[in-house]
Amino acid sequence: MSVLFMLLQVVVLAVLAPLVAGVIKNTKGKMQSRRGPGYFQVYYDLRKFFKKDNVFSPTVSWIFKAAPYIYFATALGAAALVPTLLFDRGLHYDNIFVLIYMLGLGRFFLALASLDAGSSFGGMGGSREMFINILVEPVLMLTLFTVALRANGTGMSQMASASASSGISLSAILAAIAFLILTVAETGRIPVDNPDTHLELTMVHEGMVLEYCGRSVGLIFWGSALKQLVTILLMVNFFLPWNPAGSLPPVVWMILKVLVIAVVLAGIETSTNKMRLFRLPGLLIATGCLSLLAIIAM
Amino acid sequence: MIENIYLVMLLLFIAGILLPCLTSSSPNVTNILAHGLSVLGCLAIVACSVEVFIAGGVTFTYAMGLPVGSLIIRIDNLSAFFLLALGVVGTAASIYALGYSREFYKQRLALMAALYNCFILSMALVLTVSQVAYFLIAWELMTVVSFFLVNHEYEKTANTRAAYKYILMTTLGTVFITTAFLILSMTVHSLDFQIFKGASLTNTMRNIVFFCALIGFGTKAGVIPLHIWLPEAHPAAPSHVSALMSGIMIKTAIYGLCRFYLEFLGVGPAWWGGVVLFLAIISSVLGVLYALMQHDLKRLLAYHSVENIGIILLGIGSGMIFMSTNQPVLAGLAFVAGLYHVFNHAVFKSLLFLGAGSVLYATHTKDIEHLGGLIKKMPYTAVFFLTGAAAISALPPLNGFVSEWLTYQSLFYLPQAVTGVIPRLGSVILIALLGLTGALAATCFVKAFGVTFLAKPRSKHAEQAKEVPGTMLTGMGLLSLMCLALGVWPQWMLNLLQGVVSQSAGLEVSGLFNNHWYAAAFNIPQANGVIAMPVIVGMLVVGLIAAVLVYNFNGKPKNVEGETWTCGIIPTARMEYTATGFAQPVRRAYKTVLRTKDNVTTDKTLNPYHGVKMKMTVGISYLINSWLYQPVKKGILFLVNRVKPLQSGNLQHYIGYVLLVTVVILILGVRW
Repeated sequence: MSVLFMLLQVVVLAVLAPLVAGVIKNTKGKMQSRRGPGYFQVYYDLRKFFKKDNVFSPTVSWIFKAAPYIYFATALGAAALVPTLLFDRGLHYDNIFVLIYMLGLGRFFLALASLDAGSSFGGMGGSREMFINILVEPVLMLTLFTVALRANGTGMSQMASASASSGISLSAILAAIAFLILTVAETGRIPVDNPDTHLELTMVHEGMVLEYCGRSVGLIFWGSALKQLVTILLMVNFFLPWNPAGSLPPVVWMILKVLVIAVVLAGIETSTNKMRLFRLPGLLIATGCLSLLAIIAM
Repeated sequence: MIENIYLVMLLLFIAGILLPCLTSSSPNVTNILAHGLSVLGCLAIVACSVEVFIAGGVTFTYAMGLPVGSLIIRIDNLSAFFLLALGVVGTAASIYALGYSREFYKQRLALMAALYNCFILSMALVLTVSQVAYFLIAWELMTVVSFFLVNHEYEKTANTRAAYKYILMTTLGTVFITTAFLILSMTVHSLDFQIFKGASLTNTMRNIVFFCALIGFGTKAGVIPLHIWLPEAHPAAPSHVSALMSGIMIKTAIYGLCRFYLEFLGVGPAWWGGVVLFLAIISSVLGVLYALMQHDLKRLLAYHSVENIGIILLGIGSGMIFMSTNQPVLAGLAFVAGLYHVFNHAVFKSLLFLGAGSVLYATHTKDIEHLGGLIKKMPYTAVFFLTGAAAISALPPLNGFVSEWLTYQSLFYLPQAVTGVIPRLGSVILIALLGLTGALAATCFVKAFGVTFLAKPRSKHAEQAKEVPGTMLTGMGLLSLMCLALGVWPQWMLNLLQGVVSQSAGLEVSGLFNNHWYAAAFNIPQANGVIAMPVIVGMLVVGLIAAVLVYNFNGKPKNVEGETWTCGIIPTARMEYTATGFAQPVRRAYKTVLRTKDNVTTDKTLNPYHGVKMKMTVGISYLINSWLYQPVKKGILFLVNRVKPLQSGNLQHYIGYVLLVTVVILILGVRW
C-alpha cells in the first residue's frame, strides 16, 4: 500500500513542481515592474522541449546522454522520500541522508556531463556547481541536525512530526533562517546563482547544462523544478511546521506555506544582487554559525 | 579442515615465490605460473575465511624449532573478516596482474612476481599469526617486501626516494608496535596473543601501550600526520601492488588497532576515542583536500586512502567512545560502520588503482592533464572506473554509501554519549565535516573521471590508447560486481559483521540488525533506523523508467550531430576545462590551509598585446611538512653538524678518543 502512496506522491509533486517554478517567475516579474511570464509558462516550455529533436556534439559519450535520465530519476526519488502531509505513509526508510545523497547522485552525473562536451563553459559551470555544493553540504548537515536532534533520529517523517510538536523557540527560528539561505543556494538563486541567465559571471547550474537541448534539457529543467519543490517542502515541514489554529486541514496550510516561500524566494532575488563566487564561503560560514547557535540554544 | 586449507595456501604461495626464480628465462611462463599460483592462493584464503565463518574459529600451532617458540595460528572472526577482504582483492589483483605484468617483461618480472606472492603471503600471516615474535617477523616481512615492490622501477629517482621515505616511516612505526607488544608480554610473561586478553596493567602503562599501538599502526595506516610516505609510495609501486597496498596493507593496521583495543586492552577511557576521532577527521578532511589538488591519477587515489582511513577511524573512534560510556549497542553499530568501510574501501580503492593502472598501461602517463576522451577508446575500463568513483563518492546504490550511512548514524548518536559543551559541539561538527568530506570526494572524482575519460584526448598518448587485455578487465569487473553487491544487498555483509563484532565483550550486536529482504533495520534503545538499499534501487529504476517514458512520450526523437559551440572556432582539446581549472575554486577558497602559490609567467618578448605566451604553475605546500617534519629535519641536521667535528679524520684525535674512553672506563671501574 505504501508503495502506491509513494507513487501517487511522486506524481502529484512532479505535476505541481513546474507550477511552483512558474509562481516564482511570475512574482519575480511583478516585483521587478514587469508583467512576468504566466503561471503556466513552465508547462508550456516543457511541452515545447519534449517535442523537439536532439543535437549532440560528436565529442560526447554515453555519460552525456545518460545524465539527464539519472538526474530526473534522482529528483523523482527525492520526491518519493520527502515528507508531505498528504498521506501517513508509514515509511521508515525515508532517511534524510538517503535524500541528500540521492540528489548528490544526480549532481555528480550532471557535473560529469558538463565536462563531456569539451567546451570550457560547461566545465566552468560544473566546477562551480561542485564548489557551491562543497560549501552547502556541511552547513546543510548542521542545519538538518537541529531537527534530527529534536526527533532523535534521522527518518524524515519522524523529524517532521517532531518539529511539528515542538513550539516556536529561538533555536527553531535560527535554524529556519539558516535553512532559508540554504534553500536559496540549493535552488540556484540570487545571490548564489542566477537561474535566468547563463552568462559567464553567473555560470553555475545553467552553465553546467549549456550543451543540452531538446528533450534532455526538458528532463533537466523538470528535474530542477522538482528538486526545488522538494527543498521548499523540507523547509516547510522541518522549519515552518506550525499551523495557526483553525478549521483548515493541514494540507491547505502546507500548500499556502509553499506558495509563501515561493514568494519569499522571488523577493530575495529581487532585493539583492548576485554575489561574487568567492564571497559565498563567507555567506555559508555565517549560515553554519547560525545553525551552530541553533544547536547551542536547544 | 581449516588447517589443511591453510597449509595448502602456504604451499601455494611458497611455490609462487620459488618457481618464478627458476623460470626467469621465459617471462610468459613466469607470468602465468606466478600469478596463477597467487590466484589459487587467494582463493584458498577466501576458503579459509568462509570456513571460519561457517565452522567457527580455530587455533593451531606449527613447531618451528626456533628459540622464540612455536608458530601459533589463530583465525577468529576478526581475522577471517580481514582475510576475506584480502582474498577477494588479492584474487582480482592477481587476475589483473596476468595482463598487467606484460609491461614488466623486460623489467625483472620474475623478481616482481616472486615478491608479489611473498607480499600476499606476508599479509595473510599478519592477519593470522597469534604470537608476538612471529607477528613482528610477518609485519616486517610485509614492510620489506613492499619496500622492494615500491622500489621496483628504481630507474626513476622519485621511486627510490618514495621507497626510502616509506621504509623509514614504517620502521619507526614498528618501533612503537614492538614497544607496545613488549610491555604487554612482559606483564603476562608470554608471547601468545590469547594470554594478553585482560592483562593487568596500571593506567599509565595502558595509556602508553595504547598510544604506542596508535602511533605504530597509525603510521602504517597513513593517519595524518604520519601519512607522508603514503602518497609517494603507493603511486610508485606497480599498479596491482598499489591496489593491494591501498586496499589491504593499510587495513592490516586497522586490524592491529582492533586487536589491541577490542582484545588486549579492553575498554579504555573516553578520551582515547576522542583522540582517535580527532586524528580521523583531520585525516579525512585534509586527505581529500590534498587529493583534489593532485593531477597524478595514482597520487590522487593515494590521498583518498588517507581520507578513507579517516572515515574508518571515525566509526572505530566513536565506537570506542560508546564503549567507554557503556553503550554497547551503539558501540556495536559504530564498529560495524568502521569495519564495513574497511571492506568497502578495500574493494573500491583496489578497483580504482587497477583502473588507474589500465590507464597507465594504455597511455603510459599518469598525468590527467594529458589524458581525456578515454571513454571511447577504453569503454569497459571507463565503466569500471566510474563504478569505483561513484562508490568512493558514497553515491547510492553502491557500497560506499552503505558504510558512510552507518558512519553518519553512529556519529549522530555521539552527542548524546558525551558530556560537556565542547565535546558535544565537537561531535556535532564531526557530522558537518563528514558531509564536507563527502562533497569534496565527489568533486574530486568528477574531476578525476571527467578529465581522464571524457571530452577530447589532450595528447597523442591518449589518442592512441586501446582497451586493455581481458584479464585486466576481468580483475576490475570482479571488483565492480563486489561494489554493486555490497551496495545493493548489504544484508549479507551486515550478518557477517555481526558475527565479527559479537566476539568482543563490550559490544552488543545481537538483534541490532533485523534483516528483511528489502531492508536492514537496526534497533537501538534511542531510536531505530532502516537502510533499505533494494528500495533505493527500486526507486532509481522506477525513476529511470519514468524518465525514458517522458522522454519518448512524443515518439522517438531524431538525434542530429552538431559540433560543440565555441564561438565559431573549431573546438580543440586545448579549450577543454583542465583538472587544475576544475579544482581552482576549492584551491582559492581553502588557500589558508593549502598555502597555494599560483604563479603566472608571461612571455611578452614577441608581442606585448596579442598572442602572448603564458605559463601557469600551481604549487601547494603541505602544512604537516612545514610544521612538523621540517623542524624535526632541521633539528637532526643541526645535531649532526654539532657532532660532525668529532670525526675529523685526524689519527691523533682518534687515539685521543681511545685514551679518553679508556680513562672513563677506568674511573667507572674503580668506582665500582
